[in-house]
Amino acid sequence: MNEMEEKFGQIYFTILGAVALAFGAAELIASAGGGFTWGILDSSGATDPLFLPWRAIILLSVGFFYLSSVKDFAEVHQLAKAVMASIMIWIVAGMAIWTRIASSIPGEETWFNSLEGFLASYAPPYCPEMFLLPFSLVIVYYIMKEKEAEK
Amino acid sequence: MQVKKEVVKLPLSVDERWDLIEKITKQTVEFGAYKHTLKDAIAELTVKPLTGIPVAIAVLYGFWSFFCDFAGTLFTDGFMVKIFDEHWLPWLQSVFPGGLGNPVYALMVDAGHLENGVLVPSDNCFEAFGVLTSGLFVPFGVVLWAVLAFYLVFAFLEDIGYLPRLAVLVDTVLHKIGLHGYAIVPTFLSLGCNVPGVTATRVLETRKQRFLMITLLGIFIPCGAQIGIMQDLVPELMGWIFLTLAIGYLGFGYILNKIVPGESPEIIMDVPPYRMPTLRNIARKLWIRTSRFLLVAVPFVLLGCLIVGLMYLTGAMDWLASVLGPLLIVWFGVPKETVAPLIAGFLRKDLAVGVLGGLMEQGVMTHFQVFTSVVLLCIYFPCLATFALMLKEENWKEFLGSLASLVVMVFVYGGLIHLVGLMLGVA
Repeated sequence: MNEMEEKFGQIYFTILGAVALAFGAAELIASAGGGFTWGILDSSGATDPLFLPWRAIILLSVGFFYLSSVKDFAEVHQLAKAVMASIMIWIVAGMAIWTRIASSIPGEETWFNSLEGFLASYAPPYCPEMFLLPFSLVIVYYIMKEKEAEK
Repeated sequence: MQVKKEVVKLPLSVDERWDLIEKITKQTVEFGAYKHTLKDAIAELTVKPLTGIPVAIAVLYGFWSFFCDFAGTLFTDGFMVKIFDEHWLPWLQSVFPGGLGNPVYALMVDAGHLENGVLVPSDNCFEAFGVLTSGLFVPFGVVLWAVLAFYLVFAFLEDIGYLPRLAVLVDTVLHKIGLHGYAIVPTFLSLGCNVPGVTATRVLETRKQRFLMITLLGIFIPCGAQIGIMQDLVPELMGWIFLTLAIGYLGFGYILNKIVPGESPEIIMDVPPYRMPTLRNIARKLWIRTSRFLLVAVPFVLLGCLIVGLMYLTGAMDWLASVLGPLLIVWFGVPKETVAPLIAGFLRKDLAVGVLGGLMEQGVMTHFQVFTSVVLLCIYFPCLATFALMLKEENWKEFLGSLASLVVMVFVYGGLIHLVGLMLGVA
């Protein structure tokens, strides 16, 4: 990766790391206080309260991983930390999406859900990891750059 | 060609062999500085405790989350409960000869339950407890999906190369209880089914380690089937149940390690690189493990339903409940009706939790009693299939040792849970 890409990566993942840390802290507080829903952001742990502190720990780790990767970002071991942080977001957000898919298919009284019920399952609020998911995908560009360099 | 000529001269002396190795190496190996790739760097991150533990937490979150939604939300609650409770049970209740109160009907379809002194039909397959209702609902309605979900993720983690890294991470902790990192493999396998878990203890080096592992698996590791049913019945208690079992696993393992003579040697672990899993391989593993599981589980569940049903019909269950009642009530703090799930648990633990589900539906137990009973069911005895395998894998001294440990453990740990409940004012 060139110098500009490295600089961009440093700034971008510093911001993303700080946001992940803030979300993690919010989820940790939420898990102690029984959870909250704020607009389209959901930290209620309504589906399973056990998952809330678990998610908070993962998000805090994601934040630390991103922040610790920005120094000498182009170095492969540093980049690997940002990759790992993104993978952790993909796991948690992927499971949040999977939860919605699993609950959207069967209906309440009928075998399968109605179209309205199906679509309603994907409506907000969303957990913090789902908000971080699209932003974490930027790492794919850096992975491809690194793969090119390895060749 | 030169190498081939040397090989023809076999048998070689030790020096000649080393010469041959050197010649092959010169021709085949390139020497130079190795530049770490991104894959290498990620592989390193997942074995270092500081970075590896948070990753392991995320992986286990994914594992558990997938398991709950695949088995619970999508298949069991989404479709199977409807099939069995809304169609299969009412259909059987309408067409099976005999009707409520008839012994054959009670054994095969629905034993019913008393409400204000009147025998009423069951409205779900957990309560009905017939061979054709609960006996089929437990393995096909609940357990099959739980086992499928578990083995799917397990095969993926195995093939991607993550399990050896998890073994490295937990190595230090497991050394405290006389085991080493690879003990995570039988432990994880047992979370699917205890039978392959006990077989997998062969990866451990010494008799002591195998004894410790088999005993701990038999007591503290619930199988996928049991977890599936527990998740369906008491999802809000799962965290507490697993925490209690984990404390027991480590605490009792530590004590056993101090008591049992023998060696727990250090090992060098080979950690392979990460690889892309193939669909064919995962599908094959999934098929082999799930089909084997069903072959073992289904006959035992059907037999269990029949035996428990017969014991209810002949009055043997009431007699046992009255004999064991004082012990259950005073020492463990659970109602005397718990004797039925404990008996069913010897055949299948999932079936036993299913019986417990029936008692919960009837409002026989408090929330804490449900928690205590579920933990007791986990720790009190391995299922018959595991029991038989323990007999095969251990010599008679070790087997008796495992049994003695089991008995002591059930009384000590079960009593402790009751005591904690009393101190907290919830028992």
